[in-house]
Amino acid sequence: MEKGLTVRRIVIAGVLGAIAILLGVTRLGYIPVPTAAGNATIMHIPVVIGGIMEGWGVGMIIGLIFGVSSFLNATVPLFKDPLVAILPRLFIGVTAYFTYVGLKNINEYFAIGAAGFIGAMTNTILVLGMAVIRGYMTFGVAATVALTSGLPEAIVSVIVTLAVVAAWKNLVKAGKQKSKISG
Amino acid sequence: MSAEFELSRNITIGQYLPTDSVVHRLDPRFKLAAFVIMILAIAICGTYVGNLFALAICIAMFWVSKIPLHYGLSGVKPAIPFIIILATLQLLFYGEIARGGTVYFQYGFVTISSESVRLVLVSAMRFVEVIFLSSVLTLSTSTTELTHGMERLLGPLQKVKFPVHAFALIITIAIRFVPTFAMEMEKMMKAQASRGADFGTGEWWRIIRRTKDMLPIIIPLFNVALARAEDLILAMEARCYMPGASRTQYTHYKANGKDYAALIISIFISVIMLYIPW
Repeated sequence: MEKGLTVRRIVIAGVLGAIAILLGVTRLGYIPVPTAAGNATIMHIPVVIGGIMEGWGVGMIIGLIFGVSSFLNATVPLFKDPLVAILPRLFIGVTAYFTYVGLKNINEYFAIGAAGFIGAMTNTILVLGMAVIRGYMTFGVAATVALTSGLPEAIVSVIVTLAVVAAWKNLVKAGKQKSKISG
Repeated sequence: MSAEFELSRNITIGQYLPTDSVVHRLDPRFKLAAFVIMILAIAICGTYVGNLFALAICIAMFWVSKIPLHYGLSGVKPAIPFIIILATLQLLFYGEIARGGTVYFQYGFVTISSESVRLVLVSAMRFVEVIFLSSVLTLSTSTTELTHGMERLLGPLQKVKFPVHAFALIITIAIRFVPTFAMEMEKMMKAQASRGADFGTGEWWRIIRRTKDMLPIIIPLFNVALARAEDLILAMEARCYMPGASRTQYTHYKANGKDYAALIISIFISVIMLYIPW
């Protein structure tokens, strides 16, 4: 893999960042779950996909875009705190990428699914951990939220990540679509 | 029913209100820096008077930038039910973390103390302040100005090999593609609905069903997005775009006294907020 930001990485990060923003502003990225956190989200999925496809750097940038957009769109005071809304989101793409790379040799599709799961869990655990540290929630409340919205989030994340990345890999293999200059 | 499909109409990102006020004419670099400083101060400040002061400043900002206050209020309005529900939950269950202060009420695990009341009120005020401040920023600055300002502000990071220009380009691409994808999504929702799918009619507590409804939209959305990304990559490579090549700039910003004054005022306000002891 080439080092640094290639044209491909710049564009993929921008485009997936756009999806993260779009899911936020149209509120389609939220699944209403009756817990203290208000909503489960699927907005971390673009971050996970970016991390798997183009490495941890791209994952981190999309995570930043997701964090800032969730900070600006938040309807609950919890996410109007940049330490809760932005900081934890930087690590979603990073853990997803390393999960994918670490498990790729066992089975490609298993690795993609696992990355989707780990990425979602990173989001849940770090955000709720930060919420506890900053005093918005007690540990008990946070644990309940992790179970009621974190688990569904992780499952949806596995399904969507697997579907999108697998479909994309097959297209690339067939030699369609992908630019032949950067390869 | 049809309103549910009008995604692109509801997207206010990049909405800009040209009233040509002092705030509009500020150098975007300084405006952005002042904004970040104030947001950080708001995030840290945990006192009543400090937050009331910040709220007053935020409202004054609307007046200074000649933007009608209802633009800010429209961001707060849909959130009111959430705020109330959340505040109640916080009040009932957060007694144990926000220890200390005088206890007003205690029954079983429910403890309401002066500290938990403070937590609830301060986080509600913080919420309104951030909405007001970010609406003033986005309504008074065009997206181009924002990305330019950000690129220049991050300029010094180039010394430590941070790809500032690429980063600004990523943000520009992201903002540019939001309306395009909104249109694509609208098209897909209509296509699915015409084949009998229904969106948003499932009851809100049927989480699994609502999630399943989303899948036929989300997955094609990603595929369309990635296909468009490939087109853009090809177009950029065909024009020999080189990431990290040195470039000259079309716009140049020159800071004057007003810009420095704005920055100093925002630092001053932040310091006051943090030093108010109540």
